[in-house]
Amino acid sequence: MIHDFLTIIQDYWLLLLIGQYPNGPLGGLANTLILSALAIALAFPVSILMALARLSTWRLLRWPMTALVYVTRGVPLLMLILWCYFVIPLWTGADVPSFLIMLVTLVIYQGAFLSEVVRAGIVSLGQGQMDAARALGHGYMGAMRFIILPQALYNMIPSMISTFVSTIKDTTLGYVINVPDLTFAASQVNNQLLTQPFQVFLILAVVYYILCWSLTYVANSVERRIARRRAGPRNARLPAEATPLKTITEQL
Amino acid sequence: MSTSVSEPQAAQAIRITDVCKSYGDYPVLKNINAEVVRGEVVVICGPSGSGKSTLIRTVNRLEEINSGGISFEGQDIHAPMRSSELNKLRSRIGFVFQSFNLFPHLSVVDNVSLSPIRVKGVPANVAHEKALKLLDRVGLADKANSYPGQLSGGQQQRVAIARALAMEPPVMLFDEPTSALDPEMVGEVLSVMKSLAAEGMTMLCVTHEMGFARDVADRIWFIDAGEILETAPPEEFFKNPRHPRAQRFLADLRH
Ligand SMILES: Nc1ncnc2c1ncn2[C@@H]1O[C@H](COP(=O)(O)OP(=O)(O)O)[C@@H](O)[C@H]1O
Ligand SMILES: [Mg+2]
Repeated sequence: MIHDFLTIIQDYWLLLLIGQYPNGPLGGLANTLILSALAIALAFPVSILMALARLSTWRLLRWPMTALVYVTRGVPLLMLILWCYFVIPLWTGADVPSFLIMLVTLVIYQGAFLSEVVRAGIVSLGQGQMDAARALGHGYMGAMRFIILPQALYNMIPSMISTFVSTIKDTTLGYVINVPDLTFAASQVNNQLLTQPFQVFLILAVVYYILCWSLTYVANSVERRIARRRAGPRNARLPAEATPLKTITEQL
Repeated sequence: MSTSVSEPQAAQAIRITDVCKSYGDYPVLKNINAEVVRGEVVVICGPSGSGKSTLIRTVNRLEEINSGGISFEGQDIHAPMRSSELNKLRSRIGFVFQSFNLFPHLSVVDNVSLSPIRVKGVPANVAHEKALKLLDRVGLADKANSYPGQLSGGQQQRVAIARALAMEPPVMLFDEPTSALDPEMVGEVLSVMKSLAAEGMTMLCVTHEMGFARDVADRIWFIDAGEILETAPPEEFFKNPRHPRAQRFLADLRH
């Protein structure tokens, strides 16, 4: 049994690591990581813009974005992937690589989720910070940039890391549109061996587990550190600070 | 200081005319008329919930009003205007909050220098130097590199005053600056405010510190249920308050 695992790893580690590359497209674990990293790197700024749009007093911005976030969060990711898979080539008229389709889908999906975290982070700062910024003459965008977002995003770091973990898990769904990632590579291995699906997919599971577990571990320790820092030695918190931002109360 | 109507416009720092404001059906400010002359220190007092915070927050338009007008150095701050124009006006009105509202992610010196740099475009090194001077003035030069979370309430409020002063406002507004403080820290904040007043700063302060009002104020506005019921110099206000509700308010305070 153990011998089976070792032979599979010995024979196929390169395929699992980088797919067909350099004879074909990059795939395997490398592609999974690249896809996840790109998705989160793009979802992050997108989520900030989505959150700002949802907090906007301008309905033309707020309503469509709220609808988009609700729909995205209310639909299984697999549906979203299939939608993008059929719709994006239709719109663009081009043969879009499945990697790109998966990337766009993940950015929208994780962006919608993260935007809720950003929004909550902004709201939880309370009205006082915005009042202080406005009283000093900062405009709305300046206040967001220099005062509100740096605090909200710092508090968000743990959520960002756990989103990264779930993004890694979500990339496996790219399998249905043939994104050449780790899962895809494993199923190729399985197709060649035919007789050892249990061993192959156990290796796959273990790799994902190690990856996600170590990131979760990082997230947890970062979260503890942030909680410690936020507590501060004598950080007097006043009830006035806890009243939510006005724009939100109006909306809820 | 006299405040007759015939005085030239230039002497007025703030003029509040027929201001009304309500939250839904509930009127918070009822036809407020008052003015603050340059160099004057006005203390607003009145029972809690009477509309003091609302009134002072309308002066830099943190709150909107339903009717009336508030002019600051001759400009109507509630007139329709571009937000950049409003920001410019606001940057010339210092505001100190009851809950300090320092920026917890920035060091003390950055709290003080952020707005001069980002709003007024002052070069960073100039703004830093100025910030250090202001911190020295409020007695916190040694805390420049601390974070707000590491300071006591009194120290935080002094930083907040320095932060407001950094914009070089001709007028300072205070909304119960000492109400959130432990009693032993009230004095250090009041003495900073006293020294500001002594330097001729125009100040509008909501406070329950009647000692401060007696010593420093040029005039008291007594407000109750959204109306200014009495304006008088402190000697007069404390000795013979005319309005029955002012009498009751002072009697309650003494207990
Ligand atoms: N955002 C608000 N919505 C509704 N009512 C409010 C709001 N803010 C203040 N009020 C009410 O307005 C009145 C005046 O409040 P405030 O100006 O804070 O009083 P003060 O500062 O004198 O204690 C209070 O009765 C208060 O409940
Ligand atoms: Mg108040």
